[in-house]
Amino acid sequence: MKPDRTGVHEFDRRRALAEAERCLYCFDAPCTSACPVHIDIPGFIAMLRSGNGPGAAWLVRDANPLAETCGSICPSEIYCQASCTKAKQDTPVRIRELHQYATRSERGREFHPERSPRTEKTVGVLGAGPAGLGCAFELGKLGYQVDLYNDGPPGGVPLKSIPSFRLPEEDVVRDVGILARFFRTHDVRIDAAAFGAITGTHDAVFVAVGLGRDRVLGIPGEGLRGVYPVLEFLETAKKRPHALAIGSRVIVVGGGNVSLDAAATARSLGAADVMLLYRRAEEQMLVWPAELAAARRMGVEFSFRSFPLSIAGEDHVEGVMCRRTRAGKEIDDSGRPVPVEIPGSDFLLPADSVIVAIGQDLRADWLPRLDRTGRGHIGVDGNFRTSLAGVFAGGDAASGEGTVVRSLAHGIEAAKAIHAYLMRQS
Amino acid sequence: MKRGKTNGSGPVRDLSYEVMGIHLENPFILAAGPSTDDAGMVRRAFSMGWAGAVLKTTSVEGTRVDLAYPMISSFDHDGKLLFGMGNIDLISAHHVERVEQTVRELKAEFPEKFLAASIMAGKKEDWQSLVARLENAGADMIECSFSCPQGNIGEDPGKMLAQSVAATELTARWVKEAAQRIPVSIKITPHVTDIVDVAKAVQRSGADALTAANSLQALMGIDIHSFVPEPPLGSRSTYSGLTGPAIKPLTLRTIAEICRSVSIPVLGTGGASSWHDAVEFMSVGARCVQFCTLVMHHGFRVIDDLRSGMSQYLDEMGFSSPLDIVGKALPHIAVHDDLPRRHVRSVIDESRCIGCEVCYVACRDGGHGAIDRRENRIPFVNPERCVGCGLCPLVCPEGCIALSEIS
Repeated sequence: MKPDRTGVHEFDRRRALAEAERCLYCFDAPCTSACPVHIDIPGFIAMLRSGNGPGAAWLVRDANPLAETCGSICPSEIYCQASCTKAKQDTPVRIRELHQYATRSERGREFHPERSPRTEKTVGVLGAGPAGLGCAFELGKLGYQVDLYNDGPPGGVPLKSIPSFRLPEEDVVRDVGILARFFRTHDVRIDAAAFGAITGTHDAVFVAVGLGRDRVLGIPGEGLRGVYPVLEFLETAKKRPHALAIGSRVIVVGGGNVSLDAAATARSLGAADVMLLYRRAEEQMLVWPAELAAARRMGVEFSFRSFPLSIAGEDHVEGVMCRRTRAGKEIDDSGRPVPVEIPGSDFLLPADSVIVAIGQDLRADWLPRLDRTGRGHIGVDGNFRTSLAGVFAGGDAASGEGTVVRSLAHGIEAAKAIHAYLMRQS
Repeated sequence: MKRGKTNGSGPVRDLSYEVMGIHLENPFILAAGPSTDDAGMVRRAFSMGWAGAVLKTTSVEGTRVDLAYPMISSFDHDGKLLFGMGNIDLISAHHVERVEQTVRELKAEFPEKFLAASIMAGKKEDWQSLVARLENAGADMIECSFSCPQGNIGEDPGKMLAQSVAATELTARWVKEAAQRIPVSIKITPHVTDIVDVAKAVQRSGADALTAANSLQALMGIDIHSFVPEPPLGSRSTYSGLTGPAIKPLTLRTIAEICRSVSIPVLGTGGASSWHDAVEFMSVGARCVQFCTLVMHHGFRVIDDLRSGMSQYLDEMGFSSPLDIVGKALPHIAVHDDLPRRHVRSVIDESRCIGCEVCYVACRDGGHGAIDRRENRIPFVNPERCVGCGLCPLVCPEGCIALSEIS
């Protein structure tokens, strides 16, 4: 087994076959139901076992057009592997790694899914992240003429802000390359005028622009040099890592997967001391256990039950004044105890930079006509329809931060809903 | 590649061809057995992509079919369930009238599928009336079970028809005589002293094809506390017909031996459990491959990988039809005297060795003591003593030992 850059081991053929042998080949398999895009998992594993590698890779990619991307980063422990029947005997089958093995070992083989006859109807897709790509691809397969509009190269969060030590850019680029035959891509800035023009020239529109606006702490010192909103930090770290001067002591504020990415990225950029500040306890973090373990392996340290009061410094960050919390009696919407401040517990953490990773909101000031949810996301019904006829939405823009595969599933399902809508129109 | 339809299971190319003038969508046929004893089950199999089925063996009205349960047992090996399956099943409890009806129904619904009926009888008039009735019902082929290893119908209980060369030829003539338009295939047993004699008798009879082979008589295991064999029926049991992966090498040899001696087509069956096995069966001469145990274990859904895997294989080999595989291995089978005498030695890839020393002990106690140990647990082959027997590569869990020719 050769260790890859995340410290997770990638299968070689012998290991993959041994792992594939563990699959029980369940009927109506729970793993397939748990997978947001419903890959026929026992089916592709049986093909690996029989020596039908091309068939296995085809089954994976036919269900999951971002096969390489998800093979690297899908949090399988919360999806397929969480429901694996084999876990009732011992441990779950390592499905993600088998998916990755099946996909990688057939790299370079052409993928020709079935394509319905061309129709004259056109669909505009805004945003080329997982939801937009999934929708554009699925509609292309259904025969529609699809225009995919995106600010910059297609790939969304996986391309722009997931650290390359977790997800090599080539994985995303390869996936996008395979899908790109099914739609036209336009590199445009999406604003109110563009939105108007796109809705005016297509029979239906799918909005999958993601979130894109970092939340702010709203505390003194947030304007100092050396304070980075997390998306800006992650995108710069990928594109121009030399442009970042984060120093040796970095504090990351926030308790989600993105904050773990930021902390691990700070370590990979050379910061000696990276401290993640989280106002609740470790077990209340909204993170995948594997990512937390990976961050620890990379030397990230944690200060739980503490939050920033202010950022200290003259012109540049010099430290963060923090306060401790304890679990309160009150339980919030998420089912977790609300943290309560402990008076007199303030302490100063010296720091050269601060990364603020407390979540993102929808940046779509150009979407005034669409109804929003209470959390500010685009309001949709069960068929991804917005309040505007012919306009559909999905992915993070409609549901808030989620996994790549969840957004991809939205895109694919929305394409089917759009297809049903357009069939009724004709 | 020549692209056909996808079936939710990957690209599947055109796998169709003809055998004995019969159109087959692909080489994968359900063998006579529990999966083909019911029209609804066969209907589901056909809808999922199976090219054909041999309905479970039927008989004339009044034939006693006295089943005993439980009838199935397993030969588990190294943690693998059903490495071999044993059954003490008999022919179908459905007599010919019901099977005629099944043939009519299925042929009306699936005219493109290959539907054969399997029969077994004792007397000449029974054999011939079964053939005539099922042919008239619309069956595409009659398969004659001369080899049901349990409760054979005949004067000599426990002995199979196909164990007698003379009886095989005579009975095969009867059935061939009765078939007006459709081919008949004789299903033989590997339980004979010389399979070639039986195959030649079938060919002489004028029968159109051979189905080879069948389950092998076996004793599936013994409970070492009660001493009752598997499957236990109270305090008794009996010999089972063994099928599944365990018998694949035996069937391969049987088919090869038959195809080296007769020219009539052979339908392969007995132990195939993947597209890969099917390719092997066809390479020793089988024109199509029948499956039973695999389906009993995992269901009709296995057809997806059979078709997809066969498609990928044909593309990889540049073959235009599954028929291109037929007989490819036969020229490579020789008698021992005619084998080349090569000088080969084992070579261990030290960079991949994990130091289990299984090769060392296998060679020491089962080979030629040609592998020596070292401090670092990475063994090495002594070229003076290694004769190239080929044992050590087979026991290496890392696959890091290879045989290399020396000049």
